Amino acid sequence: MDAFLTGRAFSDLLFGIADGVIISLIALSLVLIWRSTHILNFAQGAMAMFAVYLGMGLLSYNVGFWWCVLVSIVAGVVLGGLTERLLVRRLYGAPEINPIVVMVGLLLLLEAVMGAIWSSTPRGITTPVSSNYWQLHGLPLGLSPFTMLEIGAAIAVALGIGALFKFTKLGLQLRASAVAPEVSRLLGVRVGRMLTLGWMLSLGVGTVAALLFCSVNGLTPTQMDGIFVYGFAAAAIGGLESPTGALVSGMVLGVMQAYMGDYYNSNDIPFATLMLLIIVLMIRPQGVFSKKITRRV
Amino acid sequence: MSALFRVGDALRVYRDRHPVLWRLIWTVVLVAIAVYMTTHLSATTDGLLATGACMSIVILGLSFLTGASGQVSLGNAAFMGVGAYATAIWANHHTTTPVAVVLLIGALSGAAVGLLIGLPATRLRGPYLAGMTLLFAISFEGIVLFFGSWTGGDAPLQLPTIAVAPQWFVDRFSSSIPLFTLNQMWLADIAIVTVGVSFFFMANLFRSRTGRAMRLVRDNDVAAELVGISLPHARVLAFVVSAAYAGLGGALYTLVTGNASYSTYSLGLSITILSLLVIGGIGTLSGALIGGVIFAYSTTWIDWIVGKTGITQGGNLAANLPNIIFGGLLVITMLVAPYGIAGAIKMGAGKVSRRFRVTRMPMASG
Repeated sequence: MDAFLTGRAFSDLLFGIADGVIISLIALSLVLIWRSTHILNFAQGAMAMFAVYLGMGLLSYNVGFWWCVLVSIVAGVVLGGLTERLLVRRLYGAPEINPIVVMVGLLLLLEAVMGAIWSSTPRGITTPVSSNYWQLHGLPLGLSPFTMLEIGAAIAVALGIGALFKFTKLGLQLRASAVAPEVSRLLGVRVGRMLTLGWMLSLGVGTVAALLFCSVNGLTPTQMDGIFVYGFAAAAIGGLESPTGALVSGMVLGVMQAYMGDYYNSNDIPFATLMLLIIVLMIRPQGVFSKKITRRV
Repeated sequence: MSALFRVGDALRVYRDRHPVLWRLIWTVVLVAIAVYMTTHLSATTDGLLATGACMSIVILGLSFLTGASGQVSLGNAAFMGVGAYATAIWANHHTTTPVAVVLLIGALSGAAVGLLIGLPATRLRGPYLAGMTLLFAISFEGIVLFFGSWTGGDAPLQLPTIAVAPQWFVDRFSSSIPLFTLNQMWLADIAIVTVGVSFFFMANLFRSRTGRAMRLVRDNDVAAELVGISLPHARVLAFVVSAAYAGLGGALYTLVTGNASYSTYSLGLSITILSLLVIGGIGTLSGALIGGVIFAYSTTWIDWIVGKTGITQGGNLAANLPNIIFGGLLVITMLVAPYGIAGAIKMGAGKVSRRFRVTRMPMASG
């Protein structure tokens, strides 16, 4: 049994879960925005990265790590709200490509601004939670306290978001303004506020993902590009509408990539992901977890 | 004065009766002027012109995709890369192939890969396609490394002597002109002629039945389907044409730079192409040209800004200034003037001409 637990196959599974958790969170954050405003936020990774830079910059002023985490998340939430209010609000009702172009522009702008302020040299973060793997009879198990933190944080976020949407009045309002904005407005829901709140929530989740990812891989302005794309792939495979779909396909994607990277070749992971996405979308354009929607003319 | 108007009216009648011939004449005249100009410009300017020409072809392709069918691709730099590598690989094996054939190979290979990636596009809408092409842009490096035995892997694939000015071209000029200048001139001329051909083709496609069908798909896909346009066909065709133009641009760029390297055709370049398209003006020929010129001269202009404002040369801000400007312009243009520079000029010209309009007899239609 020990040989299996410390063996290659099982370690890969654990690595995959650790990566998958982050992909899932990003996918979830994209789904939150998509559900509320029907915009795919291409700048999601860069915005979260910006928040992480702001928060983790405090580390050099001897601020405690967990305070920095808190500041990052707050910064992410504020940034999300500001973006919705200042940029995205002007794009509702515009042709489909306008929001795409604006968000890509924001991605370019934010990454360049980060590069200008903090340079593109990678910065490491020392976390109080160790990422050294636990040993099992002298052999490394593919699991560290940090992995546990990742999984714990993801479960907490997922449950929190789920509970918010299912059990609270606010969640009901959020869902209502996503599905039927006009009716919700008539019934007294402040739809504008709900859309802002959707973006704030999403960026909160995105920042958590960025924090987890950067704690291991260090900070660079473009660090989130790759993982953002996987997050998009997971969200698209799950169907962009479905939070559960995003979480599940993020995990599947993470595990698949870990196996592929170890047994085959890590250079071709993006291409394999692309192929998977193409195949899934050819078979089910609405995604695996979404019901088929009929567009009303 | 009235005689002048009569000439103008006669020309207008000619334009309306023979639109294709009219465009052909325009193209030939403009290309001839541009080619003549290259013989009097410095080698540096010729090089910049050639670079701008490559980029304007790529931008024109994206312009067609976005302007005519309403889709966005974030992977056009990768399609450029496909054309670039195809050209370089071919030229390494067949050194005597004429330049036109080599460029055609670049365009065709771009189109072929575009067809593969674009097939799912038939069933997808906006953000899905953009995200998918983004994924393609990210995976281009892996694809190049995967075919390492052909592409040479990490090292840039060098081009043999194909991009050197042929003897008949050299003989036309006095022997006092250095060969380097002649080569740059030759490249600029090839690029300009290619731009002429591809813009001529696009101008006709834009105004053809297919082009009109695509614009309807963009504006209202349900209405398009109801009048019998096949959405899948229209979408895939737009995507393939845009990929072919990207491939052609990449092939040309390989001739200009002398090598193909995947690090050139990164996601960053894809996003730059999109910004140039938006800044120049989506769905217009002049917008693509403006975008190409901006690309060619952006380094020069930014160096000038850096010099004027006293930003530390080679510092973080100077290094990131291009993307700050492009990103900022992309957001602002889209919010303030969604039709870009070309659109703004057209609108401004429209206002001016309305103010000074000469009242004339309406033309008899026919």
